[in-house]
Amino acid sequence: METATAPLLFDSDFLAKLEQLFLLSKKLFRGAHRAERRSRQVGSSLEFADYRNYTLGDDLRSIDWNIYGRLDRLFIKLFEQEQDLDISFLLDASASMRWVPEKGGRISKFDQARRIAASLAYIGLANLDRVNVHYFASRLEEDLGLCRGKSQFHKVLEFLRNAPALEGETRFDACLRTFSQRMKRRGLVFVLSDLFDPNGFEGGLALLRHQQFEVHVIHILDPVEVRPEATGDLRLVESESGEAYEVTASEALLRRYHAEVDAFLRNAAAFCTEKGINYAQASTAVPFEDLVLRVLRDGRMIQ
Amino acid sequence: MTFLNVWAVGFAGIAPVIVLLYLLKLKRRPIPVSTLLFWQRIFQENRRRAFFQKLRQLFSLLLHLLIFALILAALAHPTLDRQIREGASTVLILDTRARMQATEPDGQTRFAKAKVQAGNLVREASALRQMALMTADASARVVSPFTDDEKALRESLAHAAVTDAGGDLGRAIKLAGELLASRRGDRRIIVYTDRAPETKPAEVSAPVDFVAVGSTRDNLAITRFASRAVLNGPQTSEILLEVANFGRSTAKTNVELAYDGRLLDVKPLTIEPGGRTVQVFPTVPRPGNGSRGWLTARLDTTDALAADNVAYAVLPVDPPKRVLLMTKGNWFLEKLLGADQSVAFELLTPDSFSASVAAKFDVVLLDNFVPEGFDLAKSSANYFFIKQTPFNSADAPLDQPLISDLDTRDPVLRLVNLQNISLLHAAPLTVPKATDWTWRTPIRSFEHPLMITGERHGSSQRVAALALDIGDSDLPLRVAFPLLISSTLHWLAGEESAPILSRRAGETLPLGANESVRVKPETPWRKETGPTTPAVAREVFEPLTNGFYEMQTREGSRWLSVNTFDEAESDLRSASGAATSRLALPSVSLERLASWPLWQYLAAAALLLFALEWWLFHRRRTE
Repeated sequence: METATAPLLFDSDFLAKLEQLFLLSKKLFRGAHRAERRSRQVGSSLEFADYRNYTLGDDLRSIDWNIYGRLDRLFIKLFEQEQDLDISFLLDASASMRWVPEKGGRISKFDQARRIAASLAYIGLANLDRVNVHYFASRLEEDLGLCRGKSQFHKVLEFLRNAPALEGETRFDACLRTFSQRMKRRGLVFVLSDLFDPNGFEGGLALLRHQQFEVHVIHILDPVEVRPEATGDLRLVESESGEAYEVTASEALLRRYHAEVDAFLRNAAAFCTEKGINYAQASTAVPFEDLVLRVLRDGRMIQ
Repeated sequence: MTFLNVWAVGFAGIAPVIVLLYLLKLKRRPIPVSTLLFWQRIFQENRRRAFFQKLRQLFSLLLHLLIFALILAALAHPTLDRQIREGASTVLILDTRARMQATEPDGQTRFAKAKVQAGNLVREASALRQMALMTADASARVVSPFTDDEKALRESLAHAAVTDAGGDLGRAIKLAGELLASRRGDRRIIVYTDRAPETKPAEVSAPVDFVAVGSTRDNLAITRFASRAVLNGPQTSEILLEVANFGRSTAKTNVELAYDGRLLDVKPLTIEPGGRTVQVFPTVPRPGNGSRGWLTARLDTTDALAADNVAYAVLPVDPPKRVLLMTKGNWFLEKLLGADQSVAFELLTPDSFSASVAAKFDVVLLDNFVPEGFDLAKSSANYFFIKQTPFNSADAPLDQPLISDLDTRDPVLRLVNLQNISLLHAAPLTVPKATDWTWRTPIRSFEHPLMITGERHGSSQRVAALALDIGDSDLPLRVAFPLLISSTLHWLAGEESAPILSRRAGETLPLGANESVRVKPETPWRKETGPTTPAVAREVFEPLTNGFYEMQTREGSRWLSVNTFDEAESDLRSASGAATSRLALPSVSLERLASWPLWQYLAAAALLLFALEWWLFHRRRTE
């Protein structure tokens, strides 16, 4: 298993901008520690949650005397408990993510995924959420472990910097099933992948959704994958399986390829919408800072 | 259908290469991709149409093979038999005789005018109007067989050159008629000449048109130029020169005689119209060692035909033959050999005979004497035995023998007439059995040979035996005697006959086994500047250009002079008499003229299919 050591550098201005952001979660999850995120539990925060009838033993300081004055009944005022959130980043580390087009001079999809994951992890850590990073390809690898607080950011960076180069075809179904079994607490899950699974990515994502995870899919693609331009007599060698296909790429064939890719992207977006999964496309041609600050915000993943 | 270029069928061997190229796997450019997911979906869809894909490839292959077959068929130049049968055939005869060198008042030669006119006609060659080109001088030559290829005809026309030879156009017309005899359709013979023959050959059925090029011109010509050795002066020769005036006015000119390029004599000449003058230059020194013996006569005039203003001759260069006469005394032979300037003889008595001395002479003449112990196989000299010979048999001498057989073709009997010779006695001879010799009996008395000649194989050694007693006959009193002795001596000395020193242009000269002639002539004014190993003619030599030709013989190198010497060629007054009938090519209907040759249709079809294939390929219809 090889390790990739791509630089993961963030300047202080960018990090300052990240600190202003917040990872969005539509659902409320039970946290482990007090933090800044709303939770199902009621507690002592300033955020009003509900009323309930007074029972013996309740703290008299919690009685809403204004209501008693109007209704002549005793009600206890409940406040939300602000807790932390478990945020997991599932990075597709398969060979297809490491593929780099012959021309263009762009970074690989995996490098783009790592940068995005690092940025989002920093946002989570800055908001006192618990962050974990997982790599997967044909199986789910050992994870980083839960980290909390900005002081743990260097640990996240180190884990991302030493990312393994996994072999074998991507298996969404098996990997995400393992993930859901391994995670005892539900939370926010960011899946960063090109979704190139020969058996389909839908089963795995549907399982996560079924297991009450809030899922964000960041679909990372290279422009050459979407709109290839090479024509002529070609021998296409797949990076994951090493399988080769011989084609004579004509304009007509490329048009059909474009149609297939477009259909794939439409299906992915439609599936995610149907399942209540946030979906965003991230091209390697877009600078990742712009991607984090604009594209993911537009995709309602951060605020 | 007939294929005019059958060799093109040989290119059909390329067809398997085309099929092989289709079978070979294409070398494709490897490109790494992240996934084949989408390509696989496309291919799954394509597999459903695999059958049609195979059909496309097969269609592409068939298209290529069809294009190839069309190109092949076009190259083979197919012609419908009907077209060949019904097409027109024309033979163009270009007069290349010496008289066609004559210049016209406009400065052009008659031959150049003829080529221009023939070139105009050649443009009309087509598949339906095939043409052949011939030249006519001393012999008729087909320089281009029947073809519709205008380019080939034009090239043949450009290479045709006028010669210095005379000749008869009738033979060329007859040959053209034979060429046309096997062809159907309209036929015609067109002759470009300045003088048509008097009558057309009877066996030629095709119509003959004569295109006249040239007008009446005055000309002064050397019609004879010869040299011969002076009999009473072995070191001198005399020259005969004849100049004729083929003009309408008196001609005054000078004739310059040069020897090996050096001026020897100049004589003024005045010749009446139609007249001629003969000049003799009596004492011209015979060539010594190192000289070529070139003799040239040149008229100081500028007339229509320059070729006959110069004549070439070669002085005889042979030294006298050395003869040793061994006799006890023979007045006839001594006087004869003394009078013959071509022979230098020495006299010895038989008792002083020595084989080593004999070997130093060209011929040893033994009169009534055979050396003791003489063995022909061991001797090396050329012997001429008279009366007593090694071939005498033991039979009784023949009394008053009659000469029954004479082989006049034998070189020893050249110009010899032995009729009515009275012989008193003759020794009976027996032809030897030696197999390494060729024996002949040029003079016979029925079954008895009276003279035997022999020539050893692979050697220059010769022997002759005459079984006559000269004193017992009236032969010494006859003209035949010196001729017989002289011819025999020269034959024994290795000289077959008088050397050939001159020829007329166009005459064929048969060459012997060891003879050859350089085909490029030389003159004192034009030296050969060709390759270091010039072309030589063997077996037969037909000179067509005047000048001196170097000839290699068994005796060594000698020169041969070639001249036109043909009054028919020099007389340019009859040029206007050429028949100039209206020139008309064989008729071909306009409809046929408008039609293209079949190969052009095939080439056009191949081009169209090629364009279609190109379009389909770029539309990826045949990928």
